[in-house]
Order: sequence, then C-alpha cells, then structure tokens
Amino acid sequence: MNLKDLLSPFYVWQRAFEKPYTSMRPIEERPGSPSYRGFHINVADTCVGCGCCHTICQNDAIDMVPVEKYSGNKGDSGLRPRFDYGRCCWCALCVDMCTAGSLRLSNEYIWTSREPADFMFVAGVEEKHWQDNELGYRREKSYHLYPPRRIEMEMLSPDESIEGFDEVVKGYDVEQAKKEADRCIECGMCVATCPAHMDVPDYIKSIRDGDYDEGLRLMYRTNPFPATCGRICTRRCESVCPVGLQGDSIAIRWLKRHIVDQVDAKDYARILNDNIEENGKQVAVIGAGPGGLSAAYYLRKKGYEVSVYEAQDKAGGMLRYGVPGYRLPDSGLDKDINYIVSLGVEIRNNTRIGTDISFESLLNDYDAVFLSTGLSVPSSMRINGEDHPRVLSGLQVLADAASGRDPGIGNKVAVIGGGNVAMDASRVSRRLGADVTILYRRRISDMPADIEEIHEAQEEACTIVTQAIPVEIMDAPDEKQVIIKWGEAEMVQDPKGGRPRPVLQEDRMHEDTYDCIISAIGQGSNLDYLSKEVQEQLAIEWGRFTPGEYQHTSLEKVFVGGDVANRTADAISAIEDGHHAARGIDRFLRPEMYTELDQEIS
Amino acid sequence: MTQLTGHSASLDFSQPEPVDMSSGKYVKLWQGPQHPGITGNMSLELTLDGDEIIECKTHVGYLHRAFEKLMEGRNYIQNFTVVCRIAVPEPAFNEYLYAEGLEQLSGIEAPERAQWIRTLNLEMMRLASFMMWIGGQSGAFGLYTVPNWTIAYRDYVLDLFEEMTGGRIYHMYMVPGGVRFDLPKDFDKRVKEVMDGAEKLLDQVERVMYNNVVFKARSKGLGIITPEMVDPYGIVGPNARASGIKRDLRKDEPYLVYDQLDFDIISGTGADAYERAYLRLQETRQCISLIRQCMDRMPRSGPLQAEMPNVLHWKIPPGETYVKAECTRGEYGYFMVTDGTEYIRRVFVRGPSYTHAIAVMEKLAVGTNIADIAGLMVSLHTYPPEIER
Amino acid sequence: MNTIDEILDYAIDQEQQAADFYTSLAGRAEKAGMKEVLLEFAEEEKRHKERLLAVKTGEHELTPEQEVLDLKISDYLVEVDESDDISYQDALIIAMKRERAAYELYSDMAEKVPESQLKEVLAGLAKEEAKHKLFFESEYDDRVLVDN
Repeated sequence: MNLKDLLSPFYVWQRAFEKPYTSMRPIEERPGSPSYRGFHINVADTCVGCGCCHTICQNDAIDMVPVEKYSGNKGDSGLRPRFDYGRCCWCALCVDMCTAGSLRLSNEYIWTSREPADFMFVAGVEEKHWQDNELGYRREKSYHLYPPRRIEMEMLSPDESIEGFDEVVKGYDVEQAKKEADRCIECGMCVATCPAHMDVPDYIKSIRDGDYDEGLRLMYRTNPFPATCGRICTRRCESVCPVGLQGDSIAIRWLKRHIVDQVDAKDYARILNDNIEENGKQVAVIGAGPGGLSAAYYLRKKGYEVSVYEAQDKAGGMLRYGVPGYRLPDSGLDKDINYIVSLGVEIRNNTRIGTDISFESLLNDYDAVFLSTGLSVPSSMRINGEDHPRVLSGLQVLADAASGRDPGIGNKVAVIGGGNVAMDASRVSRRLGADVTILYRRRISDMPADIEEIHEAQEEACTIVTQAIPVEIMDAPDEKQVIIKWGEAEMVQDPKGGRPRPVLQEDRMHEDTYDCIISAIGQGSNLDYLSKEVQEQLAIEWGRFTPGEYQHTSLEKVFVGGDVANRTADAISAIEDGHHAARGIDRFLRPEMYTELDQEIS
Repeated sequence: MTQLTGHSASLDFSQPEPVDMSSGKYVKLWQGPQHPGITGNMSLELTLDGDEIIECKTHVGYLHRAFEKLMEGRNYIQNFTVVCRIAVPEPAFNEYLYAEGLEQLSGIEAPERAQWIRTLNLEMMRLASFMMWIGGQSGAFGLYTVPNWTIAYRDYVLDLFEEMTGGRIYHMYMVPGGVRFDLPKDFDKRVKEVMDGAEKLLDQVERVMYNNVVFKARSKGLGIITPEMVDPYGIVGPNARASGIKRDLRKDEPYLVYDQLDFDIISGTGADAYERAYLRLQETRQCISLIRQCMDRMPRSGPLQAEMPNVLHWKIPPGETYVKAECTRGEYGYFMVTDGTEYIRRVFVRGPSYTHAIAVMEKLAVGTNIADIAGLMVSLHTYPPEIER
Repeated sequence: MNTIDEILDYAIDQEQQAADFYTSLAGRAEKAGMKEVLLEFAEEEKRHKERLLAVKTGEHELTPEQEVLDLKISDYLVEVDESDDISYQDALIIAMKRERAAYELYSDMAEKVPESQLKEVLAGLAKEEAKHKLFFESEYDDRVLVDN
C-alpha cells in the first residue's frame, strides 16, 4: 500500500467546484429533444380514419372512435384514433404507419391530471396543452412501412396502341400482382366506397395467398362482372385508398382483373359452385347491360327463371357498344356474360320492348319486371347548325366501331365534351386514322372523364383545347366538311360557391374546319317504350327513375336500376342496382323467406 | 489474499454435501430481491457460517415477462418495440440483433450508412452501460462519490440518445431494414463535447476509485475466474478477457462495420474483481475512441432504410438463424426460427447473464465474505431480465 | 308607364304571366317528370313576384349597382318550339331565354330614361332579371352540360 493510493480519495475535491449536474427547474429547463417521442398530435382534418395506427399498435392502446364532425365525408371512415396512455409505450409505430401523415408525436412529456379517464383521449379532437407543439418525432418522408409506389402496369406504347383495337393494358403477371397486393393495408375504406361494396381487402389477400379460386368466389358475391370491372371500373375505391395519400393508391382494378385472368372460364362452374334450386317464379329484365345482367345473375341464383330482353343483337349494353375494345375486349366481357348465361339465364337479343313486345304484356306474363335500359340518347348542344350531316354523336361512333362498321369520320375531327364518351370517341377516331381535337368548355381538372383516360388520349396525340365553347356550326365550302365556330372562355368563380363556371369571351371567337364534329356532351334516357299511363305511375325526375329502397317503384312488380335510375351512371353502380333489385324482387315475391329479424338487420 | 488455487475444485461439478441446517451452526440469509446490493430483481439465497458464505443459490422469477413467448404472438414489426425491454440498461443490442436476424432471414440488407449509425449506437450504448457499471461497482464497495459522477455522465450519453433516437432508454431506433431516421443536425459537435468530458471524467475516476486503497483491498483477489473455468462455464466478455482469454466477437467475427474500425482486444491476467474492473475502465476508453471513429468515418449521406415489404402482412420464409454481437458483458445471441407465416415461430435469447449470474456466481460466492457479495455480483456485470426472457 | 309604381306593377304582372305560362305548359307536358319541373319553375316565378311586391311596399330594396354574373349560355342556343313535347333541357332554355328578354327590356328602358329615381328602379329590375337568368343558366350548366 503506497501513500498515493491512500490519498487518492481526496482527489474528489477536484470536482467540488464544478457546475452541478442537477437541473434546478427541470420542467422549464429541460424540454424533450427535438425528435423526442412525447404525446400524440393528430391533425384530425388530414386524418381519414383508416385505422392503420390501431392495427399496428402492439399494445392495443389505440381505438378508433366515431367523431361526428367527420362522419359521412367521402374517403373518411368518420373515426379517429383514441389513445390510451395507460397502455401506450410511445414506440411511434402508429406514426410510422400513418397513411395520411396526420399523426406525429410532440416532444412534450409532462401531463398531470387527477382524473384517470383523462388519459384516454382522441388526439386532435380534444384540446390538449401540447397540440401546437411543433417539435417531436415525425416519420421521415423517405421511410415507409409499406411500399408507397405502385407496381407499374405494362401497356402498349401510344404508337402501338393507335395501330388498332388491341387492349392497351397488358395486366399484371403473378409476381407483379403479389407485390402490388402486398401494399394493401386492409383498412376497408374501399369496401365502404364501392357502390357494390366488393370485399376488396379479402380478394387482394387471396392474391397474396395465391388462392385465386377464393378470390373469384369473393368477387362473385357482389359482382358478376369482375373481368369487365377489372378493366373499366370507375374505381372510386382507388380514389379513397389511403395508401394513395402519400404514394400511389393500390391498383385495385388491375388486381381484380388479375384474379380473373388467372382463372380459366371452364373452371368457373367448379369454383363458384352455384347450385340453383328452382322456385318456379319468372322475372323479366329489360336491357342486357351490366344492371340487367347483374339482376339476372342474382335472381337466377335464387332460383328464378329469368328472361332478359335486349334490343341490340348482342348482350352487354354500353359495355359492348359504348366501351371500345382497346379498353374492354369482347373476350373479357364475354367471359362474364357467358358465365351468367351458363346458369340458365335466357337472353333474347334483337327484341325491343314497345315495338316487338309491349311492356304491358311483360307485366302480365311475369311475376316481376326489372327495367335497366340505360342512357342511350345523346344530348344535343342546341346550337345553330347542329343538324349538319357532318355532326355525329359520340355514342354512334362508338357503336359503329364496336360493330365493325365505318362511322365515316374523315381525317380531321373535333370532339366536343370532356367525359369518358368524349375520350373514347377521340381515341377511337385516332385508331381510325384521324387527327383529333377535343373541345371542352372547362379545364382539364374539371373533366368528368377518368384521369387515366385523359392522359392516354393525350399520349395518343389527341389535342385537347380547354375553355372552348362551341356557339355555331356552319356549312363549309366543301360539303364533306363542316365549320365550327367556338369562343374562348374565362373561368369565373360561382358566387354561390359551386364549381367555377366558364364564361364566353365574345371578342375571342374562332372558326375551324373539320371533316366531322363528334358531339359527346352527355346522354339521356329513352323511355318511349313505356306508355304515358305507365310513365305517370313511375316516379321520374330529369328523365330518370327515382326508385325506393329496394329499387322498387310505385308500380307493383316493377323494379328499376342502372344508369336510368341512378345519378352516378357507371357500370359498378348499375351492377349494385341489379344485385339490390334482385334482393328486392325476392323480398317482394317470397316474403315468407324473410323473418322480422332479417328485415331489421338488412 | 486468496491464492490462485483450486483449479480442479472449480471444475468439480459434483453435488456438494448438503448443509445440515439443524446443527444450528449456519444461518440462511436472503440477499434480494429487494436489496440495493443486487443488480436488479433477483435474489441470492446464502448459507452462512459466521460471515463466510458456504453456499449460494441464485433465485430468479421476479421479473418474468415471457418475452420470447410474447413475440410469437406479435408480428415482426411489432416485436421490434418489445425486444429492447429484455435488457434495460442495454436495449440497443437487442434491437440490433432482432433487426439483424430478421434481415438475414428475409434477405434484406440494411444500407451502409445505417450500418455505421448502428455501430455508433451500439458503442454509445456500451459507454452508457459501462458508466453505470462503474458507479455500481464503486458503490458496492462503499465508495459513493464515483456513482454520482458516472451515473450523471451516463445521463449525458442518454441525452445524446434522446436526440439521436427520440428515446432515452428504449430507443426503438434500429428498425428491421435500417435505422428510423437520420442523425440530428450538429450531432457530431455534441458527441465530441460529451466524449471529451467523459474522457476527463474517466481519468478522475481512475485516480479516485481504481487507485483507492480501500477499493484495491476489497476487489483484489475477489472472485477469481481461472482460465480453465471459462469454457466449461461458458464465460464470455470482460469476465473471460480478464482471465487472459482474448475473445471478442467484434474482432473474431466482425459484424456491422467493426472491420473498418481500429481497436485491439483488451485482456488482462489478474482474473479477479479488480482486474475485471480495470479492464472495463479500459474498454470504456476504447468505446470513446470507437465512437469518435464512427463519427469521423461514416458516410455523410445515403439511404437509411432498405426497401421494406408491407409490415402489416410481412411473411418471412421458413428458416432459422443465430445472430450474435459483443455486448458489454460478452456474447449476446438471438436464435430465431421462422415458419413462413406472419409470426415468428421461436425466439431464443442467449444473454451472458444467464451463466454469469447463476452458475458462475454460485461457484464464486462460496468462501467469500458476506460483505463482499454485492461487489462480487456487480463485478460479474449481470442483468436479471435477460435471464428471464 | 311613367311612375315607379306603374313600372313595378308591370314587372309584377310579368312575373305572374310567367308563372301562368309555366303552369299551362305543365298542363300540356307529356314527358315523364316534366310536369313537376314546370310547376317548380312556376313557383320560382311566384317567388320573383313576391320579391317585387316587397319592393313596392318598401320592405325590400333593389340593388341596381350589384354586379351579376352573365354566363351567356342562353345567347347562343336555338329557340325552342313551345308547342312540342318539351324536355327538361327545353324547359331550361325557354326559361333562360325569357329571363334574358326581360333583362334586355329593362336595361333598354333604363338607358332611355334620363337620370332619375325611375332609371334607378329600371336598372334594379334589370339586375333582378339578370339574377333569375343566372339561376337558370347555372342549373343548365350543372344539369345539362355535365360532360361538357
């Protein structure tokens, strides 16, 4: 033992005069670090209530609770996360998982309350003292717990695609589909938004599991047109998919198509196993479009004998005569229709009600009638010279192209309108070799057409002239041509707060010469097959039916659906109308099958 | 002072003669589970002859949270927030091993910069853990000034963690696939500040504690681990290195970026509590050097996370792996089995405390004085929660 | 028509005539749902009349200086033959055109009279009609020009 060792303890005095470690006022002097994981902040207006925070929370500290302010908004579940600080461990997985990017943690970590229940709170809805705190943990932009980008879909190049009517979209292969399916967060927002409430997360799961039989079964529960909808659905589901908030939404439509592509038509019967027990009742369906055939399918499954009356020479309605083959080839549509027919649904083509058979006789012969006749009359512009022979309707051009007839459009056409029909007519015209100019009253962002359709039209070199209002159509020197007079428009805010409205600028008028003008500004219904007496008994508004809860009308035995009875006018709504009408008809014809309890549940 | 004797005796695994308690000659004494001289929630059942220990039995079970079982019912990403709780003073090693294991099983590779940041994080963890240990060892021998210094300094390191990871103790920072976010702005400056201060403090600690006549008298010759004991008992880390066994995973089987850092394995020959304490002091200094090297050499930019599948239904193909890292107490290992589902089939956590706190402790305690039992226990550096996963 | 009261009486009468016009159209309407629409238009005209009556009693003031948006939709549309079985689009065109004619009538009159209270009233009536025209044009823009 040496002296140095003996003295060593006394060196502690060296530090006696140093600044003490201890903070005297820790609450004021010691805030959490800028990236500290403190109390939750949720920007409730940005949050859509997808519930990913709830799913990922390994402590069950997050519950989704309804918040009135947000109920009923499109793409919003109306729920918001409620945090239970008796369970939370502040791991911030909820923040990492948040699809909307609305959730983060503040760096505040001090909170006292006498009331234990206070520590369960809905962040962003209940006021908390840290809610304006700007610091704390946030997910880095580049960090994701799910792949934010969509698996790219292989498509024909614009040059290849305008060569003919081959399908532009090639479809995912199995590996691509699995990867895309992996991105789904299973929140169910799509189910709530889909008019037919298709079970999207589960059929996407069937792709991940490689169980395509199950996928097909799930789709047919709510939609007998999966091959069709897998190509041309208006996919409102994708517009609300929360994954799209900070990335690309799941390619739900392409995944649906993928399942159908993987299943051979001859296996449908085995997989779907639709056993039909005849019930001896007969239903007539007018119109073999998606609405009519959907009703026919679900009625047939319930054992009804179903006859579908169709004026055209093939079934499919607008799907066949309004949607060009490069978007929906006949093979796809036929796969769906053939299965419906295979169950014993009888389709009577080339039979127009009102001409070939009277509506009244159907009412007499059948136990119920479902009307789904669609919107088949093109709207007119009502401007001078519109009856010029070189003015064609978009619907006619599409129907001609679908039937292999030459619509005779010439080499230089103007298409008027901004809806899907306008885009389809433009792209069909491109395929027929014409230069296309699209004239639209408003801006591209106002176009009702699917944004992908607009982009593809542009890629196929259709020129879009926006804010262009047609005012007159005149004879051209060459009688095979026509002159359109149009004026530029300024967008003016609607004083009542609606969408901005175009106002014609009369000092900026143009006159252009085209080989033809294709008008595609909308379409209306044709109800001439119904007598005036029948029409008076059906509730009709703006040329459309206004059906009741079960697609029923004030006329006994008559049910309606599809474009002619809804305001959304797309295939998937028509399919749901048909399905729902099938339920309604069954309730009407076999009330004994439904107990009181059933009625309460439904 | 005890001599380096009894080699053969220490390897004698036969059952000792049962103690005849009815003789009235012996006293049973429980050290723990609520006792300041124990390193956490465990207890030692001591049989005393006077103040000499003739038998020691380690009891655990006070802290059993069934981590391994818990993990079988949570998906892969959720478990990442569970594993850090297996060793409270050193959560980072658990985070790293869990992430590394999953990456191996699923074929994901963390980007280079993330690997550097992980190394930095692990070395900072080592520093914080050693700082706390120095305080513990000093306190266990009745020197209460040093704990005040080092525990406070550990808090400075925790401040760095708070900035770097968003949490002081449970960082939850090394996610499978990389690290959660980038180092904060001007982090290098603050790291330098803390490292410079820590270096200065260690000099003072060496003078006040290691040269202290009391400390020397009480630790020298206490708890000798002979080199022959190392393998049969599965002794690892500083406990083994102080007996002259040069064994360090960072060198032997380099992981992360340790092959790009300059350091040597530190070892000693004294094999007693003092030697182990001194070796840990040197390793603490080595830590500071490694942290500085990481700060200087890591790439300034680059991705921090590999591309991940959707964690909500992340399935890992069937497989098994054993991943290991050198923690402050030696080899820390995770044996993981996956079966192709969204849940892990089995996790087995192999912490060094398992052998150090049970078999080794029970052996070394025999013959020591009751007053030294706390010091002996700390000198083995054990953490009960990793015994009870 | 020289006094303000006379002018207002004329305008009120015009609104009543418009209401009667739509009611008689409704009586002849054949297309499904059109009867309701035309009766609704008649109601709208009656509301216009109420407003003018309120102006006459001083409960409501005209706002000649207010800017009213002119969408100019009706200006370029072809006249509709009212004797035909009309559709909703036709009905809207008829309504827009009628409001436009009334607007032009009052504007012209306002221009012709010298600066006076009467001029103010005429200008105010013109603005009223412009608002009615905007109402129908907005309806047309929303309902008919959906895809255009």
